[in-house]
Amino acid sequence: MNDWTGYDWQLLQGTQEEPYVQMALEEVLLANVARGVRKPTLRIWEWASSSVVLGRFQSVRNEVDLEAAEELGVTVVRRITGGGAMFNEPQNTITYSLYVPEELVRGMSFVESYAFLDDWVIRGLRELGIDAFYEPINDITSSKGKIGGAAQTRRQGAVLHHAMLSYDIDADRMLQVLRIGREKMSDKGTKSANRRVSPLLDQTQMGRADVINSLTATFRQLHGLTKSEISPDERAAALELAESKFSSREWIYLLP
Amino acid sequence: MIVDFSVRDGRIVDVQINGDFFLEPPETLTSLNHALEGMPQGADHAELVSALQAAVPAGAELVGFGPAGIATAVRRALQ
Repeated sequence: MNDWTGYDWQLLQGTQEEPYVQMALEEVLLANVARGVRKPTLRIWEWASSSVVLGRFQSVRNEVDLEAAEELGVTVVRRITGGGAMFNEPQNTITYSLYVPEELVRGMSFVESYAFLDDWVIRGLRELGIDAFYEPINDITSSKGKIGGAAQTRRQGAVLHHAMLSYDIDADRMLQVLRIGREKMSDKGTKSANRRVSPLLDQTQMGRADVINSLTATFRQLHGLTKSEISPDERAAALELAESKFSSREWIYLLP
Repeated sequence: MIVDFSVRDGRIVDVQINGDFFLEPPETLTSLNHALEGMPQGADHAELVSALQAAVPAGAELVGFGPAGIATAVRRALQ
């Protein structure tokens, strides 16, 4: 129980996916780990295009300026986990997911399992000289400011834990698209808003790919990691689900 | 956490609780919205809380929000 080393951890990394397909892959890969068709997996995402990813319970109109999103070519998608809206640009974020059997976090509260499942990232960031720490419930932060956030959901005995780290931020574009950021900016002024978030590029000189390689190396050292591929069945299921669910108005505007 | 709603004929209607919280199972959100739907606009905090609490199924997990916070948001909006 609560032992990472009892699994043959799989690494999915490399393919760029469109936002709807990213959302669909989460559901498909989680279901496959739940069914035992796929071994516990770490996926490092690569984004094919920019997006706003809404939390499962967020309202589109309260979070997003749809006109600005359209103008900037930003796709609005809704994920299956709760939490807050994230603005993604392909080279600016480091996104990853863990799909794990629930037994790995058995006996832990929802809140405890967040810190547990992100412990390898905190260690990995510290190895890069960043004084990262976990701020419950779901923030990956540092003395210089927040770096990222995580979200979870559980299905049929498996846990999806995914997180997004800011590598760099185009604050102008983000504030055009996200309403909440704009309000925080106008309330507290630009300086304090910038202080609240500290992307990795402010804290290290390393390139994004090097940061990712270093983080996966940390995971490999701690828990082992075997290279894996998205199977043809998984890809077919994800493309089908992207079409039927994640790009549908019913899902995106689930909370208008 | 945000509660969007209207008031019609003295009652709370068109309720949509939303925000950056976590909730398992997710369908519990529909029950929470329904719990507030049709409540009199004069319902006090305790009445709202008890209606919301009754809508939370056993074993549901609410993280980052709860009946008391939802009720406070509604009362503030009505004042």
